[in-house]
Amino acid sequence: MAAAALIAGCTGSIGDPSSESAGAGGGGAIAPSNLGGRTGTSGSSATGSGGTTAGRGPTSAGGSVAGGTNCTPSVPPTSQIPRLTNDEYDRTVRDLLGVTGLTAQNGAAPSSLLATDQAGGLTNVGWSAYKTVAEDIAAQVIADPSLKGKFISCDPGVGTCLHDTVVSFGRKAFRRPLSKDEVAGFDAIIAKGSEITPKGAPSEVAELLLSMFLVSPSFLQREELIDVSDSAGHLVLSSYEVAARLAYMLWGSTPDETLNRAADDQQLKTSEQILQQARRMLGDPKARDRVAAFHRSYMLMGTNTRWDNTNHDSLLFPAFKRDLVGALQKETEMFFDNITFGKRGTFEDLLLSSVAFVSSATAPLYGLDPAKFTANLSETNLDANHPGFLTRLGFLNAYSGYDAASPILRGAFITKQVLGVPIGAPPPGASDARLPDASADLNTNRKRYDALTSGAQCAGCHKSFINPPGFALESFNAVGSFQTTERDTGARIDTSADVTVDPAEAAIHVTGPAELMAAIARSHSAKAQYASKWVSYATGRDSDPGDACTVEQLAAKMMASGYTLLELITDLSQTPAFRIRTVEP
Amino acid sequence: MTSRAIDVDTKRSLINRRLFLRGVGGLTLAAPFLGSLHEARGATSTPPKRLVVFYTHNGCLTNRWFPKVENGSLKASDLTGTLAPLASFTNKLLIPRGFRSMNQFGSGQSIDPHDQACGSKLTCAPLNDDANRYPKAESLDHTIAKLINPNKAAPLVLSVGAASTKIKEIISFSSANTAFPANVNPKTVFNALTFGAGTPTPTTPGSPMTPEVDYRVKRGQSVIDLVRSDLSRLQKQKMSGADQRRIQDWLDLLRDTEVGVGGVGSSGSGSTSTPVACSSETASNLGVTSSALTAASPTGKITPGVFDGGGAPTGSEADKNLATSFTAGGDMMMNLVALNMICDANRVLVLMYPGYVVFNWDGITDTTDHHAISHRTGSIIVTGKCLPGVLDHIDRIDRWYAGKFAKLVGLLDGIQEGGGTLLDSTATLWLPELSDGAAHNLNNLPILIAGSAGGYLKQGAAVNVEGAPIGGGNSDNSCQDGSNKGDTGSTAGNVPINKLYVTLMNAVGCRDNGAKITKFGVMDGRDATPGITNPGEVAALTSSG
Repeated sequence: MAAAALIAGCTGSIGDPSSESAGAGGGGAIAPSNLGGRTGTSGSSATGSGGTTAGRGPTSAGGSVAGGTNCTPSVPPTSQIPRLTNDEYDRTVRDLLGVTGLTAQNGAAPSSLLATDQAGGLTNVGWSAYKTVAEDIAAQVIADPSLKGKFISCDPGVGTCLHDTVVSFGRKAFRRPLSKDEVAGFDAIIAKGSEITPKGAPSEVAELLLSMFLVSPSFLQREELIDVSDSAGHLVLSSYEVAARLAYMLWGSTPDETLNRAADDQQLKTSEQILQQARRMLGDPKARDRVAAFHRSYMLMGTNTRWDNTNHDSLLFPAFKRDLVGALQKETEMFFDNITFGKRGTFEDLLLSSVAFVSSATAPLYGLDPAKFTANLSETNLDANHPGFLTRLGFLNAYSGYDAASPILRGAFITKQVLGVPIGAPPPGASDARLPDASADLNTNRKRYDALTSGAQCAGCHKSFINPPGFALESFNAVGSFQTTERDTGARIDTSADVTVDPAEAAIHVTGPAELMAAIARSHSAKAQYASKWVSYATGRDSDPGDACTVEQLAAKMMASGYTLLELITDLSQTPAFRIRTVEP
Repeated sequence: MTSRAIDVDTKRSLINRRLFLRGVGGLTLAAPFLGSLHEARGATSTPPKRLVVFYTHNGCLTNRWFPKVENGSLKASDLTGTLAPLASFTNKLLIPRGFRSMNQFGSGQSIDPHDQACGSKLTCAPLNDDANRYPKAESLDHTIAKLINPNKAAPLVLSVGAASTKIKEIISFSSANTAFPANVNPKTVFNALTFGAGTPTPTTPGSPMTPEVDYRVKRGQSVIDLVRSDLSRLQKQKMSGADQRRIQDWLDLLRDTEVGVGGVGSSGSGSTSTPVACSSETASNLGVTSSALTAASPTGKITPGVFDGGGAPTGSEADKNLATSFTAGGDMMMNLVALNMICDANRVLVLMYPGYVVFNWDGITDTTDHHAISHRTGSIIVTGKCLPGVLDHIDRIDRWYAGKFAKLVGLLDGIQEGGGTLLDSTATLWLPELSDGAAHNLNNLPILIAGSAGGYLKQGAAVNVEGAPIGGGNSDNSCQDGSNKGDTGSTAGNVPINKLYVTLMNAVGCRDNGAKITKFGVMDGRDATPGITNPGEVAALTSSG
């Protein structure tokens, strides 16, 4: 997210309306009131700014009007020939040829031998890697009867088999029909077969053809070249290009037969036609994987993240064990999947649903009777104190300290990741400050954190943004169990707070987690942030000011009740930006 | 006393691995392509010059790292602390004292010091204050590569550990805001040296490669022709300048690999421009065999860096791959660095060791990561209780790295080339992220250079470029007795590192229309706006200075 503009790390003096943060290189903090409303009145022309919840007008590409849903969607100019990412390469090869691991490399994923993804030009290492892997894949496919048919389904030594394979497989590999010249080029390879293979055997020529497809730019790059303009002067994608965009957006992989036929039949021209395909594709397990991966990235899950490294003092919390960590993550993954696909729920459902997935091992952490559950995580409903993913064990455990909850970790996550408020990094030395010891005055975790962050340098971010949501979640201890009194002192825990969910609007008073989640669920900020993350994920580019209008339109739809997550995902294909492109300078 | 955990026997590598590059005195035959800014060389020429960068994170115990001599000639007996493994190479070392690399603290930015240290290290440029925090300029390795590499190939940037695009684990940037992440799989790196359609990688240990067969050469050419026509079709389309460059880059790679035309590796029989020594036999002698490559490469996922603290190893496959990567993997990368130089495939080579890993190899069994240990607390904050015995923990990691650098130096010094060794033609730079890991300071950087870059650099000396005594820093100030006193930083030693880079650029032969380079980077202070205020190389670092 473009964290640049708004609150630059809360250093120095706050409340200095004249100091525009001006994107890069800007010093000083901006008072929260200067963040600019959704109507984009601040008019900052800071480079790289905007594009977040405040809906400030994008400053580049396409001249959108700031704010509101009357903006003209623009498309950030990006490369017309982006190479497949390594993940896309693996999935494409899996779907085209059934290869998931290279037998020549002990089953390692094909991309493990490719050069690391990078946005610059192809390097020597990158090019050699593509060739090596293409040869390995081709040899494997030809040698394996269960895979060979995905490339060639006739006898290569008989008649026009190899030529026909060039045409039919080429269509799939290049994600478009081959031109006459291209077919001729491959036919010439076939004709030279005996000179460029060990023995000139037809199967060797077939293997060579496959490896050549896999190193072709038309396979390795997702080309968008068509030069046709619409009445508004935008360059319109061809049906083949739309098919490829749809497939890589919803599946992270190549189009399937049905999508290819729709492209061949020119059935991907209208929004409605595209919508039909998008809906169909969302029903495929590949989309489910992609959505699951999105939610994992939305929640910052992954190897060696806080989620993975969750650990708590099992003397203080006997119900917690390190080997539960996997289950805690899994529950949250199942929650997102269930709300999106199972319940066809809305964004608000993500924040408010009482659905949970509990096993006999995790039940005690919820204060539930293990005897009522099995060894597997199974669906149940929690009480009114447990709305949404932010009150599930996974998040609460991951965003806690070793022996106590951390309002700062939880509050910062909510502020930055969920609400999209760009609070930036703490000032140098801030994270080294020591939490004051408990005392008669500081007899709750909340009070200690409050004291820690009351200084002038800290209050700007902490008082208005970070701490309040964290304090509301003090209803849950370090291992996610509900609590009303402080363990060590017996003091009553105060979970009321004034939470700023939208920097342009007044703080909302909440009395605890339920009201906090209701406020987040209702907010425009959280919806715009979620939409922005989806646009970024689906297009494979960092959030860009040029996407601001698309995000705003989606956020507006999300504000209407009953708008499901599935509709949001399909609507990514419905924005005008989906069918047009612009040229990079 | 050297810890038993570090078992680097550099002398042994010298004796067993003395390689003599065969052919006409092992000399590289004149390459047909001379970059316009590269020094012209004759047929019986001196070897090309190379820059090698060995990069480590999280600083060190500077008091134990720096030799006492700040300015003057060095003897082996001066290297008694952390640098003891390098004592036998003292006559080829140069320790520049008093350099500071760039960061932006003090101009209101609050970007994490590690992000700044890595992003600005080889770029001397400010960072974008966005989610990625990449710098606003290309890095030194790319600048130099464009000037001295055959075919202006991109630098070879390698790392151990997991592939990463995070700013804390990247130091190479191919252009402003564009990361050039390292390659982490030794097999991928090796394959780039033996590529050519149909050319197999070695299949049995020590066996020479199958001699080039006619069909392979023709096949390779067919691939090139097919791909070239695909790219030419693209070239005819209306496209942005950036995309046109991408297409041209690929076309250039094809041209470079065509048989007999300035190609790398052994893609053609009878190719007259590939160094004779670039062969499977040389690879074998260096220990680069099929089985060794497999043993050095990951079997699957590698545990990535941990930035939030915690994460003791669990014995998982990913953890095992991490250990392999740091040990056999890193050693294999060194061999591949040497092989790339022997094959003249690259003259700018970077090998990085990430800093957010838990050491669990070579007798070191930490339970928290190097970064956290460098803070003295075992956590991501620097205040709080000292980790018990933390100075010993840091010390053994520092010595482990010194041992690895010594291994690299020993490897390169054991390969005869022309009248000297491969090392002599290089400036092999140990470049640290930080001075002290808890203070996160960038002044008084512990920098070490091995090799003279063909006689350009002073050897066997420490050179204080600041002119006044600097001292060894204060790393030992805190946690000696278990109490965290905090200040392990220092203030002296602030000559901009830009000047070191300019000196190195000139050392490896970069020229600007025939004249020496005079400046590098966007800034040499904490504020980008004045630009470069102190241009020029440091004459005292040169052999004539």
